[in-house]
Amino acid sequence: MKLSMVGLSYRTAPVAVRERYAVAPGQLAEHDAKLVAQAPIDEAALLSTCNRTELYGVSASDLALEHLHRFLREELGDGSAAPVQVYELRGADVVSHLFRVAGGLDSMVLGEAQILGQVKDAYRSAVAAQSCGPVLGRLFQHAFRAAKRIRSETGLGGSTVSVARVGVSLAREIFEDFSGKRVLMLGAGEMAESALRGLREAGAEQIAVVNRTLGAAVELAARHGGSAHSLDQLPDELARADIAITSVQVDRPLIGPAELARAFARRRGNPLLIVDLGIPRNVDPAVAGLDDVYLYDLDDLEATAERGRLQRAAAVEAAQSIVSHEAGEYLRWLELAPHAPTLAQLRRRLERLALAELERLRGEDPARVAEALVAKLLHPPLERLRGELERGTSRYYADALRDLFGLDEEEEP
Amino acid sequence: MTSLTHGLASALYLFAAFLGWTGRSERIGPGGIRLVVALAVLVHAAGFYGFHLQEPPVPLSSFPAALSLIGWGVALAWLVSPRGLRLRASGPWVATIAAAFTIPGVLGLELAHQASENEDLSRWSHPHVLLAAAGFSLLALASLAGLGYLVKERGLKRRRAWQQGLPSLESLDHAEHVTLALGFALLTLGVLTGFAWTVSQHIDPWNKHVLSMLAAWGVYLVPVGARVVRQQRGPWPARGVVIGFLFLVCSYIGINLVGAGP
Repeated sequence: MKLSMVGLSYRTAPVAVRERYAVAPGQLAEHDAKLVAQAPIDEAALLSTCNRTELYGVSASDLALEHLHRFLREELGDGSAAPVQVYELRGADVVSHLFRVAGGLDSMVLGEAQILGQVKDAYRSAVAAQSCGPVLGRLFQHAFRAAKRIRSETGLGGSTVSVARVGVSLAREIFEDFSGKRVLMLGAGEMAESALRGLREAGAEQIAVVNRTLGAAVELAARHGGSAHSLDQLPDELARADIAITSVQVDRPLIGPAELARAFARRRGNPLLIVDLGIPRNVDPAVAGLDDVYLYDLDDLEATAERGRLQRAAAVEAAQSIVSHEAGEYLRWLELAPHAPTLAQLRRRLERLALAELERLRGEDPARVAEALVAKLLHPPLERLRGELERGTSRYYADALRDLFGLDEEEEP
Repeated sequence: MTSLTHGLASALYLFAAFLGWTGRSERIGPGGIRLVVALAVLVHAAGFYGFHLQEPPVPLSSFPAALSLIGWGVALAWLVSPRGLRLRASGPWVATIAAAFTIPGVLGLELAHQASENEDLSRWSHPHVLLAAAGFSLLALASLAGLGYLVKERGLKRRRAWQQGLPSLESLDHAEHVTLALGFALLTLGVLTGFAWTVSQHIDPWNKHVLSMLAAWGVYLVPVGARVVRQQRGPWPARGVVIGFLFLVCSYIGINLVGAGP
């Protein structure tokens, strides 16, 4: 079984390309199922975040990569990605890559915690679609363990900031403090929650949550002491906001120059910071040309994130060694995986023999029990060995036994 | 003696500016630039006291002395500003502006001594000079904040704001607002007392000096109206403040260099 991966991320493709390949969380399982329905992919998982879209596949065929490329191009995207923007990995490289991704080492904001939740979502979707078999299942479990170790052992998680919080530090370039500033949150998902938490910690008091589903907005607003509004109130809220953070799933931008121009008639030059965390983008890039509007999307946040990356460089080395160790463990398991049924069968047989013998000798002297147990367990292989040696056909079995049981190293008591 | 103290003050302003621009201010301890500027302000004040001790006293209304007074005012206003107004990274700029006004003043002190022989002083001369210089100094700080606002605004638009080390846009706007309001009020009083001075000296009150100051005052009406009265924020009032100060400097220096005025 061979592991392969095809994808594009913020490192290779700008947001304008990434947004065309993004998959909504609710559609992950559907695509996973489609992937495994196509030979020669045996197992598949799709990871899609605002910063990356990656297809993981397991197959016995060498054609797997080609299929993943085609699926990415034709099923997920519109073919707009240039070949150089799409990367592919195989075998051990896939393992290290996923572990790095889950641990936040490949994130725009180094060590960010949110990506682990997104990797878990990808795994759950694959399980739900029954596209996740033993190879991918074990790969994801190891990835979660590596991420947990990175967070707890390197301190990378302790100083972590999410992309949303980088937006908060950006807001400090415009506003000295957030008290008295009105924050508009467009969307009520995980990213919105993270951003609101950061802004609340920074001192923001007036929060308005606007969402398509009013119920979700009400819940989020209640958790952060804000007010909830439906989408048709967006223009009014924009006119009153100082900071607007957007993170909703949309097909085309919700905020354009026309909406903002109307809102700005009442603002008297008060600056408006818009941080667009949506993929696809929620705000028309043309908005950046308006006076007193400062629009930043995910690509723009990368420069800020890069500063944090340098500061945490020391922790990265430790995290990298965890990735290598965990990847080594997984690859050893993968190597043994084809023989796993044989080993399991041997274990079951020995257990059955041992239990039967113990039952037969219940209440006997322990030394006698041990002797009988050893004789029972070793009888079939030793009989086979004697037969082979008498026939003189092979010394292989004898050598294998010395090696397996470490007889050359054993010292007599 | 007065030339020596003014010269020393200029050197200290330049040293503070050098420390700031080369990033060495921390080498002489925390708040390095502030310390040097504070020393310069004290030395500079001693220089002005020296004017008073001379016989006849050097009038502050002489052009070189007034320039030096503006330089001192800029540095003093920056030093005594509350934390919210004393902008981060503004030290080197303030030291440079103070030096830029003080050095020409020092070079022209001989002229000031000569002028003192013929100076027509009235009870309006010192209030006029002090108020106008204080207004001038605060408007210099306002233009500095306005310039910072424009640079920061451009940086934010180009997604490079965090590379500039400037204070937040809001801090710059607040500093610009306060210094503009105070500076303009003092300048207005300076213009009025100047008008009273010319009347008391039986000079034509509509002479070139008064008219140029009135013109500069009029130019300032635009940013003051926008920022202080209408509470308009953003780059447009900032541009008005910077342009207003350039006009004020050009008209004040220009009109004095051509030798007009009381």
